Amino acid sequence: MLMMELYIALFLLSVVTFLSGKNAKVYSLAVSGAFLLIFLFYFSYRYWGLSAVHGTLQTIPISPAYGFNFSLQSSGLSAVLVVIATFVIFAAIFVSSGNYSQVFYGLIMLTMSGLIGLLLSANLLFFYIFWEVVLVPVYFLIGLYGNRRSDTVSLKFFVYTHIGSVLMLLSFFSLYTYYFYETNGSFSMSISSLMNPALFETMPVFWRGFVFFGLFVAFLVKLPSFPLHSWLPDSYETAPYPVTIVLAGALSIMGGYGFFGILLPVVKVIPQGFLLALIVLGIISLIYFSLSAMSQLSMKRMMAYASAAAMGFVTISFGSGAIELQNSFSPSLYNLAFAGGMYQVLVHGLIMAMIFSSLYYVTKSTGKEMIGSLGGIFRGAPVISSFLLVGLLASLGLPGMAGFVAEFSVLAGIYGEIGMWILLIIFAMLITASYHIWMAQRTLFGPYNEVLGNIHDAGASSSAILTVMMLAIIFLGVFPHSVFELFTNYASGVVIP
Amino acid sequence: MDLALIAWFVFLSPLIAFPLSYFAGLKWKNWSGIIASSSIAVSLILSFILYLYYSVPVHSSYNWFYSFNYGIFVDHLSIAMVMMVSFVSLMIHLFAIYYMGKDPNRHVYFAETSLFTAGMLGLVLSSNLLEFFLFWELVGLCSYLLIGFWFFKPNAASAAKKAFIVTRVGDMSFVIGLAVLYSSLSPLTANPLSIPFLINNMPFVLSVLGSGKLALVSILFLGGAIGKSSQFPLHVWIPDAMEGPTTVSALIHAATMVTAGIYLVARIYPLYYYSGPDVLYTLAIIGSFTAIFAGILGLVVNDIKRILAYSTISQLGYMLSALGLFSVIGLSAVGYAMFHLFVHAFFKAMLFMGAGVILLTLMELRDVKRMGGLWKRMPITVSIIFIGALALSAIYPTAGYFSKDEIISAAYVYMTSSGAWYYALPWIFLTVGAFLTAAYTFRMFFLVALGKPRSELADHAKDPSILVLLPLIPLAILSIIYGFFRGDFLSYLGGSNNLYVPLYIKYLPLTLALLGILVTYLIYGRETWMHMDLSKSRVYSLVKNKFYMDKLFTGSVAERGILPISGKFASFENSYNTDVEKLGRHALDLGTAMRKLQSGVIESYFALIILGSAVVFIIALIVGVI
Repeated sequence: MLMMELYIALFLLSVVTFLSGKNAKVYSLAVSGAFLLIFLFYFSYRYWGLSAVHGTLQTIPISPAYGFNFSLQSSGLSAVLVVIATFVIFAAIFVSSGNYSQVFYGLIMLTMSGLIGLLLSANLLFFYIFWEVVLVPVYFLIGLYGNRRSDTVSLKFFVYTHIGSVLMLLSFFSLYTYYFYETNGSFSMSISSLMNPALFETMPVFWRGFVFFGLFVAFLVKLPSFPLHSWLPDSYETAPYPVTIVLAGALSIMGGYGFFGILLPVVKVIPQGFLLALIVLGIISLIYFSLSAMSQLSMKRMMAYASAAAMGFVTISFGSGAIELQNSFSPSLYNLAFAGGMYQVLVHGLIMAMIFSSLYYVTKSTGKEMIGSLGGIFRGAPVISSFLLVGLLASLGLPGMAGFVAEFSVLAGIYGEIGMWILLIIFAMLITASYHIWMAQRTLFGPYNEVLGNIHDAGASSSAILTVMMLAIIFLGVFPHSVFELFTNYASGVVIP
Repeated sequence: MDLALIAWFVFLSPLIAFPLSYFAGLKWKNWSGIIASSSIAVSLILSFILYLYYSVPVHSSYNWFYSFNYGIFVDHLSIAMVMMVSFVSLMIHLFAIYYMGKDPNRHVYFAETSLFTAGMLGLVLSSNLLEFFLFWELVGLCSYLLIGFWFFKPNAASAAKKAFIVTRVGDMSFVIGLAVLYSSLSPLTANPLSIPFLINNMPFVLSVLGSGKLALVSILFLGGAIGKSSQFPLHVWIPDAMEGPTTVSALIHAATMVTAGIYLVARIYPLYYYSGPDVLYTLAIIGSFTAIFAGILGLVVNDIKRILAYSTISQLGYMLSALGLFSVIGLSAVGYAMFHLFVHAFFKAMLFMGAGVILLTLMELRDVKRMGGLWKRMPITVSIIFIGALALSAIYPTAGYFSKDEIISAAYVYMTSSGAWYYALPWIFLTVGAFLTAAYTFRMFFLVALGKPRSELADHAKDPSILVLLPLIPLAILSIIYGFFRGDFLSYLGGSNNLYVPLYIKYLPLTLALLGILVTYLIYGRETWMHMDLSKSRVYSLVKNKFYMDKLFTGSVAERGILPISGKFASFENSYNTDVEKLGRHALDLGTAMRKLQSGVIESYFALIILGSAVVFIIALIVGVI
């Protein structure tokens, strides 16, 4: 209920941002804040303590004869991700310095409504459309407001992701066509009828492989995974901080949602070669990004790699969980792996939002972004430094913070499948811990770098938003039960063993 | 009486004090120490109530997430441990009110130490291994923050980093252990990581895992314990961790951090003795080797706190090896190890606080070679340190004698129980360790206490007021008399003490310790050492460089291993990045080339149409459509 009306209202209100003139920041803050509360209460009411997998399906027919409908349906997974995406975007608007024009905020709001549409869409055509809707405003955000080489970087971002989405569209239409043949002349674009293991089982092997190939490439680009990642460090670094927060916190959800929201129902029929490749790419990503991060000189770029590395857990958990399922392991293993992967998608957004927000305040107060030109800033700015430290500790997976729940669930869930290859993941986690702590030592601690002069600490508003993020991270780390149960219910509900 | 509720508040009390003492301290600095101390006093009182009213094991458990529970598990082992932790921690907190009294950030300090204590108490009472790990890491985090408390000192910042990363290596081993255990047990039980479940159903666990996998799990958990309890080869973080305030060192070494590793092994001890003699031997050999290894290093260090740090590593080695002697002392192994842990906690907290008093009067001068003659100038402090030194060297009748020499005797029986030559190693190591312990302890003591002051500061040293030293007095008394309660302690933990060894074996460690004191007196009690030049000796430089272990880790592994590899990855990543851009640019060039075709000249379009149709026509002819 209500979902459709809410969504249309959100979309229209987002578009209005372009006309909001000087009050753009206040306006978009109000809209996103209001929708954050609405979504939070709506979904809490809808899912709290219930074992429901899906919400009600609401449809606006566009061309039903050809299967093109605008239809929305929430699930346990998308509900949580919608809330977190709204929160991250609210935070990004909140920390932005207010000097930006209404176009900037309009683009951010448009990104948000695209992202939420994507998470709720029950129709593959609109899933694809929203995928592109998200892409375009971000292209402009990087291109118009980016720092260095913004033209090249935004173009690279666009082309890269677009290659993925074109392949995704091809996959969708192959499915669409096959459905047409299979059912003797009826069309459907709805996720529930196309993403159906029974449909895939009759499909020729090559066709099936082609469909999965397109989807995998699209999602892996967006995640990102090695070797399809090279848009990411540049985009994160070039984009202004609020946009980086949107990219790292909110848009990183897309790839993970692709796997767990779109592919999970058909996990049984994915060829094992694909799944193995997924695990291998995940492990390579973890190690490769962690080692690359260690040598970065700029904090922002280092954290961009950290963000990419964390997504390795998503691919590994999906691949191993799927193989465990196909080889009929115990559900207690693969459901844990799947739920862990989803949890990682969720908390990664939150943690990265926190890290980039506090990095933004560090940069704002010191004017420096390079690790070498900072040092000992804990003395001058203890509050910001503490928040950055909390973000770093959360990002390296310290227990008591949200990241640990995800990482531990993934590790415990996948050990049955990958065995002692887990050591490679552990190695990457050690590297991750090392460079996080090393960065903290070089920037926050040690003797104060007197070149910085007098720096000012965080104000009340920045402390407020960072406190909220910190509390959310700690809450999800200490009381993961309610959200985690949504994910496990979702996983055991949509997966047909 | 609801013991479970009381047990919750044993660790909730300092946890509540964590924000309280911080925020109160923002306004009234001096209150933070009082709040933190009283919260720990509450924990101490509550743990006494637990001790008095305890009848059967208390296990309360709630769902945390998925099939992981959290809760409280109270039995004799955890009651004993919470009493010790809260008592020692309380003494250190009371002392810290004086010791940190002038630090501008003392509210942060007390907030962090109460969190530290809360973490340790929570760890002790955990009913689930995952919950245990959560507190385990909380303790690790607090030690990271406290070692780096004086964050502006470059050494402190780098020591904190080192402590975090090195213990993290062990922690990761712990995590793999949890993953292996979970993945094997979860299909069959609802709550696979519950501690009471594991220790009560070992035959079942063994039948599910098989002996090989069980041994693997035990060794992986041992890896965690090695990191936390700083056993060889992960001992490198502890000496550097001396950069924190001395009270932090006292906490880490006595109550809240390094004992966690030993406690882990003791807590899930059934896992170890079901894993078979090889795993137990691993415990014994790692422990005893660490005991002698750290003892040798302790001989050449001049920093008073680092000497104490190496002594901790060495004593923890004794505890770990006691846990490996299951085959001769059975379940008493836990009692043997825990008793030494307790005694060590008493005298080591005392020694560190005594050293802290000295450092405060000497303005953080830590080089023992520049002290000297302090017994005359600070009689009370140095006498307390003397008691600690006697207990550490295990001289009769201090408690150290009872706790340590019994472990060495057990190691002797362990040797005779098997014909294999390598079963002799633990006993040999531990016995030599007894000599070394006395030697490095009294080397430090004689350099500090006897002779003439060797620096201006040492000359003007004075005892602080007796009020300050009050927290050290109960610890000193316990260090002297606690040995006589050994039998009660063992039977409380479900062990017994009926080990028979020949008299000459029984008194061998004591004799060696006395010999050690004599030798060091001859060298360091008088001024012989000033005329010794060891700098040419190869052995000396080997030991002085800590057998190059630190160099191996920071130099070969971190600086020449990981960092260059990371640099290679980063430069590969950069070139990959530019290659992708180049590829994109070529694609653009292709577009530019194609654009030339769209010249806007109608005639050329017409020509192209004809050309194109001709090609299609020819192809159709060849294929045979037409």
